[in-house]
Amino acid sequence: MKVNLVSRNGREVVKGGIELTDEATVSDLQEAIHARIKKYYPSRQRLTLPLQAGSKGKPVVLIPKKKLADYCDGNANNLTVVFKDLGVQVSYSTLFFWEYLGPLVIYPVFYYFPVYKYFGYEGERTIYPVQTYALYYWCFHYFKRILETFFVHRFSHATSPLSNVFRNCAYYWTFGAYIAYHVNHPLYTPVGDFQIKIGFTFGLICQLANFYCHLILRNLRSPDGNGGYQIPRGFLFNIVTCANYTTEIYQWLGFNMATQTIPGCVFLVVATLIMTNWALTKHRRLKKLFDGKEGRPRYPRRWVILPPFM
Amino acid sequence: MAVEDVDGIYAHFGGSSAHLIKLHQCAHLASPPPFSIRIPSPSSMAGFLYALRRIYLSLYNWTVFIGWFQVLYFAVKALREGGPTTVYDAVEKPLQLAQTAAVLEILHGIVGLVRSPVSATLPQIGSRLFLVWGILWSIPETRTHVLVSSLVISWSITEIIRYSFFGMKEALGFAPSWLLWLRYSTFLLLYPTGITSEVGLIYVALPFIKASEKYCIRMPNKWNFTFDYFYASIIALAIYVPGMFLVLLIIQVNKDCLPNCFNHISSGSPHMYGYMLGQRKKALSKSKTA
Repeated sequence: MKVNLVSRNGREVVKGGIELTDEATVSDLQEAIHARIKKYYPSRQRLTLPLQAGSKGKPVVLIPKKKLADYCDGNANNLTVVFKDLGVQVSYSTLFFWEYLGPLVIYPVFYYFPVYKYFGYEGERTIYPVQTYALYYWCFHYFKRILETFFVHRFSHATSPLSNVFRNCAYYWTFGAYIAYHVNHPLYTPVGDFQIKIGFTFGLICQLANFYCHLILRNLRSPDGNGGYQIPRGFLFNIVTCANYTTEIYQWLGFNMATQTIPGCVFLVVATLIMTNWALTKHRRLKKLFDGKEGRPRYPRRWVILPPFM
Repeated sequence: MAVEDVDGIYAHFGGSSAHLIKLHQCAHLASPPPFSIRIPSPSSMAGFLYALRRIYLSLYNWTVFIGWFQVLYFAVKALREGGPTTVYDAVEKPLQLAQTAAVLEILHGIVGLVRSPVSATLPQIGSRLFLVWGILWSIPETRTHVLVSSLVISWSITEIIRYSFFGMKEALGFAPSWLLWLRYSTFLLLYPTGITSEVGLIYVALPFIKASEKYCIRMPNKWNFTFDYFYASIIALAIYVPGMFLVLLIIQVNKDCLPNCFNHISSGSPHMYGYMLGQRKKALSKSKTA
């Protein structure tokens, strides 16, 4: 069969189209495109069916495993596919590694090195125990995240646009420096011992819970990375859809309880907003997918992210 | 309000106003007949709210229009009479009122009264408020600078065109093509001059900010918080150009509401400028064929 590859404004992307066997899959098409145009490796391609004139709604995205023939509704020999270049892609592991490496490296710099003299604070500084524990807690957190990136997470999409690297790194690294500056400051004021102990203990428990949540999520996906959605079950997922985000938020709350800085709290608020946004999307998607019809299970009633608020 | 007016507004939205007229008439009777008090149907309720929205937005836009008109009038008057150093004192009150009133526009976006994306209006209004209150009002040494004149004139002409455009659309349902032309053409000059003035004034203010230590919070304190207005202003300066670029990106993503959010741009980036030239072409050619 012949595939006409067009861009969104109608221009032919591959002159003369692409010839494939009738049994060819979308994945074969992606490989063929890549062979014709070197820079368009498969993860950079977004292939959709053309939208019918006048119809609203989102275009149908071609799924790599499916056969091209499944998308031909009539003319079995000819198929028009719309192509969009997603831009340079990086693997999610790469993205996560770089965005987490920043905080892991930057924070200890403020702790160990005499950076504050460049801000006008000369002389020795007394380091409080809480500042040392905060260093360990923080570094453990980001080290854990990097390990999870390489050994635990199974990603639904293999790649992410390169621009996300800059955006995400800016976010993590800037906040990392902002918090590190304040917690390790020579004029830092610690809170009471009890509050510190509760904060770090609670935070640590939440970090462990968070790790367990990631393990559960990992087991929802098969190793071949098919990325099909399933209803998460077990542990906190029985109560809340995005238990992993919940534990993450509470873990930062623990850190802030122990260190009590405004920058830390700002980070907590921003991170909560971002994760809540993700959680709402995920919750809606799962509810829509698992509607109880046609033999599919019905998505159970659950909190979205932060009981009892949402 | 006369019954005819109610009907007139309703005719506009095709809602049923019959029952409302009855209610109105009944208000004048000593003992209204029981059958004439009816609960408004959902469609007429929606129509009523739509009318209310239009009245409110007309009032809002024309009121702020008058504010900016005053700014321009007093600015030009002061320039002719006393020169650039006297402009700020002449325009201070209407400027502060008119620009601060724009905060309402963020609310309008949040509650959905208008279609502009909050993500585009927030940085725009934020930067304006920063200039009006954070620089001009807080750092008096900047008030006599010549850039104040270029700033208020660029802003006021832009806003006069913008608010009258929206004021007409809300009140009359349409805006004349010459006003559309003005809106899409005056930015060519006014946005560069406006941005230059804004950036220039922040730069001029920097040494005074550093010396006065205004709005600075130092450690130690219970919440381990610091704020340095000097460095914050430098960061504001640094994100001005890419910041406007970002606003452009956000607007591009929200393409369907472009006519409304177009206004919430103050351009500094050459990329944005070129983009808006393209939009101008599109908008003006569209109005020709319409």
